[in-house]
Amino acid sequence: MIKVLKYLKKYWYIAALSPLFMILEVSMDLIQPDLMSKIVDQGVLGENMDLIFEFGIQMIIFTFIGCIGGILSGVFGNMAAQSFANDLRKDAFSKVMKMSFQQTDKFTTGSLVTRLTNDITACQDFVGMALRMMVRTTMQFVGGIYMVLNIDARFGLILLVTLPVQLIIVAVVLKKGAPLFGVVQSKLDRVNSVVQENVSGARVVKAYTREQYEIDRFGTANDELCNTNLRVQKLMALLVPVLSILMNASVLAVIYLGGLQVQAQELEVGRIMAAITYITQILMSVMMIGMMFQQVTRASASAKRIREVLDADPVIGSGSFDGNTEIKGTVEFRNISFRYPGVQANNVLEDISFTVNKGETVAILGATGCGKTSLVNLIARFYDATEGQVLVDGVDVKEYDLDALRKKIGFVLQKSELFSDTIENNIRWGNPDATDEEVREAAMIAQADGFIQGFTDGYKDIVTEKGSSLSGGQKQRLSIARAIVKKPEILIFDDSMSALDLTTDAKLQRALRENLGDTTVIMIAQRVASVMGADKIAVIENGRLAAFDNHENLMKSCDVYQDIYNSQMREGDEKVG
Amino acid sequence: MRRLADNNNNKQPVINLRPGGGRGPGAMGIPHEKAKNVKGSLKRIISYIGKNKNLLFAMLGVMLVATLLNIIAPSIQANAIDSITVTEEHPAVDLNELLNWMIVLGVVYLTSALLTYFQNIFAAKLSQYTVRIMRKDLFARISRLPIKYIDTHKHGDIMSRMTNDVENVSNSVSQSLGSLVSGVIMLVGCFTMMMIYSWQLTLVSMITIVLTLFVSKNLSKLMRKYFPMQQRKLGQLNGQIEETVSGYKTVKAFTREARVCEEFNATSDELRRIGIKAQILGGSMGPCMNCIGNIGFLLIAAFGGWFAIEGIISIGTIQAFITYSKQFTRPINEIANQYAQLQSALAGAERVFEIMDSEPEDEGGNEPFEIEDVKGDINFKDVQFSYVEGEPVLTDFDLWVKSGQKIAIVGATGSGKTTVINLLTRFYDVDGGVITLDGQDIRSIPKEKLRGSIGMVLQDTVIFSDTIAQNIRYGRIEATDEEVVAAAKLARVDDFASKLADGYDTQLTEGGSNLSQGQRQLIAIARAVLADPKILILDEATSSIDTRTEMHIQQAMIALMKGRTSLIIAHRLSTIRDADKIVVLAGGRVVEAGDHEELLAQRGAYYDLYQSQFAGIAT
Repeated sequence: MIKVLKYLKKYWYIAALSPLFMILEVSMDLIQPDLMSKIVDQGVLGENMDLIFEFGIQMIIFTFIGCIGGILSGVFGNMAAQSFANDLRKDAFSKVMKMSFQQTDKFTTGSLVTRLTNDITACQDFVGMALRMMVRTTMQFVGGIYMVLNIDARFGLILLVTLPVQLIIVAVVLKKGAPLFGVVQSKLDRVNSVVQENVSGARVVKAYTREQYEIDRFGTANDELCNTNLRVQKLMALLVPVLSILMNASVLAVIYLGGLQVQAQELEVGRIMAAITYITQILMSVMMIGMMFQQVTRASASAKRIREVLDADPVIGSGSFDGNTEIKGTVEFRNISFRYPGVQANNVLEDISFTVNKGETVAILGATGCGKTSLVNLIARFYDATEGQVLVDGVDVKEYDLDALRKKIGFVLQKSELFSDTIENNIRWGNPDATDEEVREAAMIAQADGFIQGFTDGYKDIVTEKGSSLSGGQKQRLSIARAIVKKPEILIFDDSMSALDLTTDAKLQRALRENLGDTTVIMIAQRVASVMGADKIAVIENGRLAAFDNHENLMKSCDVYQDIYNSQMREGDEKVG
Repeated sequence: MRRLADNNNNKQPVINLRPGGGRGPGAMGIPHEKAKNVKGSLKRIISYIGKNKNLLFAMLGVMLVATLLNIIAPSIQANAIDSITVTEEHPAVDLNELLNWMIVLGVVYLTSALLTYFQNIFAAKLSQYTVRIMRKDLFARISRLPIKYIDTHKHGDIMSRMTNDVENVSNSVSQSLGSLVSGVIMLVGCFTMMMIYSWQLTLVSMITIVLTLFVSKNLSKLMRKYFPMQQRKLGQLNGQIEETVSGYKTVKAFTREARVCEEFNATSDELRRIGIKAQILGGSMGPCMNCIGNIGFLLIAAFGGWFAIEGIISIGTIQAFITYSKQFTRPINEIANQYAQLQSALAGAERVFEIMDSEPEDEGGNEPFEIEDVKGDINFKDVQFSYVEGEPVLTDFDLWVKSGQKIAIVGATGSGKTTVINLLTRFYDVDGGVITLDGQDIRSIPKEKLRGSIGMVLQDTVIFSDTIAQNIRYGRIEATDEEVVAAAKLARVDDFASKLADGYDTQLTEGGSNLSQGQRQLIAIARAVLADPKILILDEATSSIDTRTEMHIQQAMIALMKGRTSLIIAHRLSTIRDADKIVVLAGGRVVEAGDHEELLAQRGAYYDLYQSQFAGIAT
């Protein structure tokens, strides 16, 4: 909480003004009942109209000052809270953008989004509230007690009895309620996730005719949510009536005690009325403090979640090398071993070494889950090798400035991620300065120009929500175009042609060879046809490099490769080959 | 008080779902949307609430009495004060009288507190019961929506109806409805009491009411301008966060961090600017109302004092009057607030009803059909189909899949391969022609039985947030653990599942990163294997699985599927070569059909496709 609140420091002068003005407003409010009682006792009872007007004018002045104080307190409070949240949000966002993959894996993207949105809003609300409502309530509480005691110390006795009782009740209810709120939240998550799964997995639900099963599953989640909610509400239903009994009991006590004193001519009726007002105020403020505690608990939970983000220093630090190398486009793996940090006990990759020379095309082939993706991720330092070194253009990737390293690399991910923007701009992501011709050219190489032209707005067509309007193959081709337009030294395809039909795949392979002769290409693929043309093929088996050679040699020497080849080609290849 | 309560009710929406609802977090207080059909929606909400008539009437009854008690309480308090006030008509403090009044007051307070408690309980029950039925109904409809609806609507939007909108209705039922009713009673009651006490002072307090109305009207007019702006900006910001965080790998790969941050900062700054304006306006409401309240207080004091001197009213009356006038202005604000709240709840309800009213998927025909006896003879005759009118996907499509055959469908992206599956499973219905299963029009077969006889592994793998075992068991809920493991072994899930620390009990997350794409596909295959269907459909089900693993699975499947019909869509020739019949689709028609050898011999489209496998060497 404190670390997060540091973001307020920059705006301390604005932040300080808010409670000051709030104090002004509350002081003015506190004076009112006292003035009122004077108006009643001296003006009305004393039948003195002049006094009524005199105090009346005072009251109006105080009221206006109070009003202005309140508004200004709001102005400064909001400025501070919003500026605070703005800075926090920007910092947290840039922190997230600097995170390494293993960190985003750990946080999960969903949770990061919640932290950047809901949690920051919760902290903003808290600051706004703390600056104003907390000050206000505390003032009302303390000021109220002071004023009551000022009227008659004996009224303090009433408070001495009722206040602790009230505090205990509020504390007990909140203590019982607080864990329930967490339960409600998790039950709500459950309901949401069932709905989510049913909407996005509708085809599977229907294919297995599990509608009734899902309805029952939802029914359980829904019932649980409603029951928990009801439990919370039942508990909370108790709070207001019980507190109002206490409050009213205090009022009765004040009236009775007051009555006795009026009889003894020690007190005036107007003062009793003022005392009633103050006592009501004090007890109300206790309730408010209780509610605020709830808010504080929530905000501090949020602050903790944000702090985790802020504290997450990128595990993969940037080096200082500016990437200016003589050779451009070589990759060397030296005795690489790798396991996902914190997740697995066994190495995914074990002692892998091979070199990719400038301009070469190297394919990586291997079984599902054998660590192909992990291997290429090491080149761009999405992860760091557990052991061994990756060298790009002869320099250890760890020495590179991250940006400089990644500028050398064009990466086409397994899962195409597109953004809601025009097709043109999605491609231009690879190179913001690319001309229209360059974009078009990249699209042509990626075999995307054809279908793009088919769209109503062509290159200006908007990609909808995560590319839902495009087929898998189209998305992959756009991602490929995006990497090509970058004109990188090293182009990496992480199984990013799986959704292409064979003809398109072949055309793409040919276009790549024809247009990007100087570019080093590293390609993960499943189809032998896609990799046969490669200069070298790295065959990975059980995390180890089984062979590294060209197609012809592998066919002679590598059993695993032959196995893969046969699984795809078997008979018939001679006829057409 | 109100502000805090609002915050507490603003349950955090769960964001890691899907974006697109447009109504991000932080939407509270000031609604800016209106229902289109107020009367109709209101009627339906009431009919939902009406399902618990007893509760509703109990709540309203209790509320009425409690409110009335709250209305008379100040007048009793005034009497108590009067009994200790020394005036000419009332020369001494009368402690007996005071005690009597206090007993009455005590009884009133106690009863009122008790009633308030019951009112709260009833309201809570009413709202939870209502919301439970409503959610249940909504979900029942969602799960019966045709695929077409789901394909053509934003998922985020459907989600947000289930969560935000229903929640909104629930809050309105428990709070707004009650506040509105009690507010009106309070208003009438207070006005009556004030009039009884002193019509002169009532007139005086009317000035405050006019002021209140004037100020709140103008302020909310301004607020109506800025709050939607703030909401829109917030939505934009959340959208940006969603997109960049989930597209995070791409951002990194293209070193766009700085640029993305820049764009984000711009939006964030903008939000701050508008947010400050909106919040300041919102925050000014309180002090202004406070100020007006104090002016009212003063007016009553001054005039009351004057009237008291003139002997028109008593001191106790002034005290009572101050309480009443406070109680009088409060419901006015409250009613205005609640009315706006109700409006937005109505708009939310409308969105909920919109889904409930959308046509559910039809249940299919009711011709007798036994899953056990399905032979799997599928015939597409002259099928016409288009997703969008005027853009036909299938035209005069004919395909006969004989019982027990393995058919492969190949063709370029967009040639209509998946559509064939969509039609066979009746995710969509044909526009023309007919599809028969064992000679029966599939539309005459109960849908449940039709789909029950088909097992599918689809292009997009669906993984439920549950354990691996449960995800497989989805294929057949009643399957034993042994059967699940057997299916897993066949689909090669066992290879990796048994290596995980928690084995088959490993918790999976929807879209989670703990499994590779290929491993997820294996689980989906195991699911279909477990279902043990008469007809098996594989739609690009092995695209991320390496060919050797695939081959092993296929061999196992062939044994399993012996004598059963299967339809396979794939790009890899290795996947399809063994098929009894390969069908090449182009332009929505079958352009070639035959087995691998025949098609190669034809030297047509399939030959070209096959050639391209070797294009890598050819040039």
